[in-house]
Amino acid sequence: MTTAARFDEIVHAPNRLQICAILSAVSSAEFATVREGLGVADSVLSKHVRVLHEAGYVDVHKSTCASRVRTSLSLTRAGRAAYDGHLAALRAIVSNEAFDASAHHAALPNLIRT
Amino acid sequence: MESREGPDRAPAEMAPGEAASAIAAIDGSRSWLADRIIAPCWYHLAFGLLAGGVIAEAEIRSWTVFAWSVAAYTVGCGALMWWNQRRVGVSMTYFDARTRAVFAGHILALSGLIAFACWLGLDRGAHAAFLAAGVLAVPFTVVAGRWTDKLLRARLQAGQ
Repeated sequence: MTTAARFDEIVHAPNRLQICAILSAVSSAEFATVREGLGVADSVLSKHVRVLHEAGYVDVHKSTCASRVRTSLSLTRAGRAAYDGHLAALRAIVSNEAFDASAHHAALPNLIRT
Repeated sequence: MESREGPDRAPAEMAPGEAASAIAAIDGSRSWLADRIIAPCWYHLAFGLLAGGVIAEAEIRSWTVFAWSVAAYTVGCGALMWWNQRRVGVSMTYFDARTRAVFAGHILALSGLIAFACWLGLDRGAHAAFLAAGVLAVPFTVVAGRWTDKLLRARLQAGQ
């Protein structure tokens, strides 16, 4: 089944795109692992995770282990769909193919700067 | 990294080159994750030594020692997997059709080794049959482990 190309402004921000890229490949990832992957500070990652969480794209799960709170992140079904759609939209832009961005934006011929 | 932050821009402003950069960043994240998944070289060797130890100790022909070795194998495997899970920091579905096939092949190979050692050692009375089978189990386990790592790495890099 192919994913419909759909540009998503929430996913589009570089750090959030990388967060989604990491989370899309796994069931869940620890906050510290994602932070290491992005090479950003805790506060920066927290800000992006909050945006994704408020959009319903990322689940944040906290658990306590040996009196330490461990935070893990996972993509929700909506988040996975948004990421897949956004990735398909990026590929469509690269290959100059038309994609349906009607939910958020006008059609492709007006979108791609040549 | 943060230089392109700020109000989200419409795709109207996105040039194909910028989209290609975003895709390259995604590929970079996948590669980083795939590299992280690869276990250190001693990891599969430790599994192999645990499996080989259980098989080799059958040479002693003691049910008590066998029970302890199985318990040590179980605890050892659990500890190794727990440590690796902590090291990697992600939870993922390790088994798909390919990795399951490698795992099944590994189990079949070990079962064959054990069956052959039983036939040689118990039926034919050959000495050191279980010891030899235990030694052979080590490279079998290492190869299966590294093969599984390779498949997982390819899967992650493909973004599946």
